[in-house]
Amino acid sequence: MNFDEIQQVWGRQDAGGSITLNTNLLLKEVRRNQRQFESTIFWRDFRESGVAMCLVYLFGRAWVQQEDWTYGLLALACFGVGIFILVDRLRQRRRRPVMEDSLRGCLLTSLDQVRHQIWLLRKVFWWYQLPLLIPYFISILHEPVSVKSVLIQGFVMALLNWGIYWLNQAAVRKSLEPRERELEALLSSLDEVPSSDHG
Amino acid sequence: MKLAEQEQLFCQWLTAHRGLLWRVVRAFASDAPDQEDLFQEILLQLWCSVPTFRGNSKESTWIYRLAFNTALVWQRGEKRRRLKHEAFTLHAVGASEETASSGRSEQEVRLERLYGAIRELPRLDASLALMLLDGLSYREMGEVLGISENHVGVRLHRIRKQLTERLKGQSDEF
Repeated sequence: MNFDEIQQVWGRQDAGGSITLNTNLLLKEVRRNQRQFESTIFWRDFRESGVAMCLVYLFGRAWVQQEDWTYGLLALACFGVGIFILVDRLRQRRRRPVMEDSLRGCLLTSLDQVRHQIWLLRKVFWWYQLPLLIPYFISILHEPVSVKSVLIQGFVMALLNWGIYWLNQAAVRKSLEPRERELEALLSSLDEVPSSDHG
Repeated sequence: MKLAEQEQLFCQWLTAHRGLLWRVVRAFASDAPDQEDLFQEILLQLWCSVPTFRGNSKESTWIYRLAFNTALVWQRGEKRRRLKHEAFTLHAVGASEETASSGRSEQEVRLERLYGAIRELPRLDASLALMLLDGLSYREMGEVLGISENHVGVRLHRIRKQLTERLKGQSDEF
């Protein structure tokens, strides 16, 4: 086929004949879907920060009732982590890709979002694990317990935290980094001007 | 924008531009489940974006932009939001040559081969090929992708050549 034939084939295709729409049902469905999506996002944010706030309440109460300041430290750490998650979610929600933006704009926002996710998961030890581990170990060492018990608890916590860290890094390697490369390639192909055979 | 206006505009656009949406879907996804998945994703993005339409660009250019952006950042096989199946039916066309040669019209077979050739292009070039065949101006194409008209011209030259080469000799088969 030469290019004129290609255009003829293209022009003869049935305009929209390959889709049958039940517009009323479709409208109901997209509205239902949007409501469901918004509620999923709301409950995800609520769950993540809600768990942290429940722990703040429990440790805070233990601090007041038992007059043990190490519970206060734990409550403070949970509060910090909860606030960090909440603020990050709210900031990211404002930076969601705008699909009606130009392709370059949309790709840049998507890339920015993926890079932020990578940063977040790579640094999970610093903003999630360490702030909880420090008060936890302080509270263990503060109690008059045997060295053996400290070592066992330390080993269990190290194993658990290594698992959490490993899962996060695996998610970065398996899904986020390939996605980042894909978006980078799309963005650079937008700037790439074919140099050969122009004329 | 009020909900009633959003609904009215959405339905109006669906009726007027469903051909455009279908062409984008076919150019980016080859098999039926992927086509359905991408179509749903574009519909949902369209619904959410209707209130942001300000009329600064042509309606069709705006919808093109939204559909391409969705298709380009769409990831095959990702867990998706689902719409009830009865709401729409895509009369999907298989991409394989075997299906193509088994009793479909010459036009359908040629068209499927053309879509196959478009799908083989890099994804940005596939977007440009679609807009070229749909007769958009260089300015409109540049506006959709966020690149200059000159850049569009250079890329289109290569795309025309690639499409012709990939489909060379196929008219003689009928």
